[in-house]
Amino acid sequence: MSMPATSIKTPGRIDWKHEAGVAAIAFAVLALLPLFITDSYGRHILIMAFIYAVVASNWDLSLGYGGVFNFGHLALFGIGVYAYGLATKLLGIDPWIALVLSGIVSTAAAVIVTVPILRLKGIYIILVTFGFAQLVMQLILSQSAYTGGTQGMVRIEGLYIASHNMVRDAKFAYFYIALGILLLSTLFLRSLVRSRTGASIVALRDNEEYAISRGISLVRQRMITLASSAFFTGIAGAFYAAYQRNASVDVFGMSLSTIILSMVLLGGTSTIYGAIVASFALTIFSEFMADFGAWRPIITALLIIAVMLVYPSGLAGIASSLFNAIKRRRA
Amino acid sequence: MALLQVRNVTKAFGSLKALDNISFDVAPGEIFGIAGPNGSGKSTLFNVITSIPFGPDRGQVVFDGIEIQRKSGNDIARLGLARTFQRETSFDKLTVFENAMIGAVYCGRRRTSSEQRESATDALNLVGIERKRFGQTADELSVYDRKCLMLATAVAMAPRMLLLDEPASGLTKPEIESSIGLIRRIAERGITVVLIEHVLTFLMSLSQHLLVLNQGQVLALGEPRSVIADPRVIEAYLGTRKAG
Repeated sequence: MSMPATSIKTPGRIDWKHEAGVAAIAFAVLALLPLFITDSYGRHILIMAFIYAVVASNWDLSLGYGGVFNFGHLALFGIGVYAYGLATKLLGIDPWIALVLSGIVSTAAAVIVTVPILRLKGIYIILVTFGFAQLVMQLILSQSAYTGGTQGMVRIEGLYIASHNMVRDAKFAYFYIALGILLLSTLFLRSLVRSRTGASIVALRDNEEYAISRGISLVRQRMITLASSAFFTGIAGAFYAAYQRNASVDVFGMSLSTIILSMVLLGGTSTIYGAIVASFALTIFSEFMADFGAWRPIITALLIIAVMLVYPSGLAGIASSLFNAIKRRRA
Repeated sequence: MALLQVRNVTKAFGSLKALDNISFDVAPGEIFGIAGPNGSGKSTLFNVITSIPFGPDRGQVVFDGIEIQRKSGNDIARLGLARTFQRETSFDKLTVFENAMIGAVYCGRRRTSSEQRESATDALNLVGIERKRFGQTADELSVYDRKCLMLATAVAMAPRMLLLDEPASGLTKPEIESSIGLIRRIAERGITVVLIEHVLTFLMSLSQHLLVLNQGQVLALGEPRSVIADPRVIEAYLGTRKAG
């Protein structure tokens, strides 16, 4: 007897309740960490890992799910950094409002950069988006009266929670704000990729002409993809500026882009979780290797290459293999 | 009134005229066959009608009373003109059910979520993909099943017209026979079918009208039996017998 059509949810996909349960446990564990990590440096490392995780997982949306070689993703982060700095220092806007505003400004920038790449593919998208990042950086440098040019912006206003002292709490409050941003970003990304819009983003990546023949608009979906990946990236940038209390054009450099891209690829694209786990792994691993001096980036790079050679699908591929092995053994 | 009117459509790639002044009509509810040797412009004709990936250089395409030659591919699809491709095509990393849902969701019709699911399920049932396979990703399917899935995504759109580009290519004889049955079932739903095939027997068993293209031009158009008896069609397919 056949089941009624309405009883079919998403065959072949993990039930969202199951996924939400596992994610809730993971975030609960993260939320308990400040009880064990009481020194401010340890918490700082985790805060940085959360920021990287937000940026990397949002990049995974456009690069992994969307198949858009957006090499200007870190420019969206940089726009968030400077939007926050300018909004709080120059316009005197409340830091919390500036934080959200920075996400909106990055989203608007992503919509603008989508226009020239609508009809492009592959290497040409890389060129245009890379050019976009350089353009934004040059624009910031040229407006040194407001942005501080090569000197950057200093003494940017930090976030606040009522009368709580954010400076002398061993980064306790910033830890939870960063974790909150990561939680909201992950909820948003996973909801999006599990939705019908998410399926259409993957459809366009898998076969553009076929997707168009089924009524999907390339313009609309590509804009949604890039704009969606920009909002929390911009907020992460704003948070970074509030947390560090300075802004510098270094955020537009190849160094940070390479680190975040390594996180996306090491984690395994088109998973969101992979990029988050890789962000934690690489940030924490890099700290453990601090004593190795100049050898630190070399060892890290070699390790990434080794993982990618054995598991081209990254950490998500390793997790998937383990999961399948356990399932087979149980069967 | 014809559901599809193609008028003086021309498409050139540099000096090569892939389509040269093509005109024909397709009536609602019929199965309309298009034949021709390799390189005659059959698939290019589908491309310019659907604007995927390009529209015509000149000429007019009218679908259901609306001029569509300047519209985008997705807008044309949402008007109810669906197509398949010569090679089996799928959204490889989406499941079978998600593939069908893409057609059901983005077809341009106002449907509730449960109507979309029903439409996707119905389309998959029609092409004979079993429910237990709905959760498989499309790249796990055989060539025949992927062709069926491509058809299902089109049927899930509930189109008024379906353009099928060589649905029998690469299939075994029993699979071709199944395809013929499937196309008949699709047509019985009131969907007008335009069918490209260079296997004439396949077309003869299905079409009410037949258009034969050769080197981008209309060679013959009419009732299938009279078209295949046309000496010019015989020459295009078999060549001329050398004297002596």
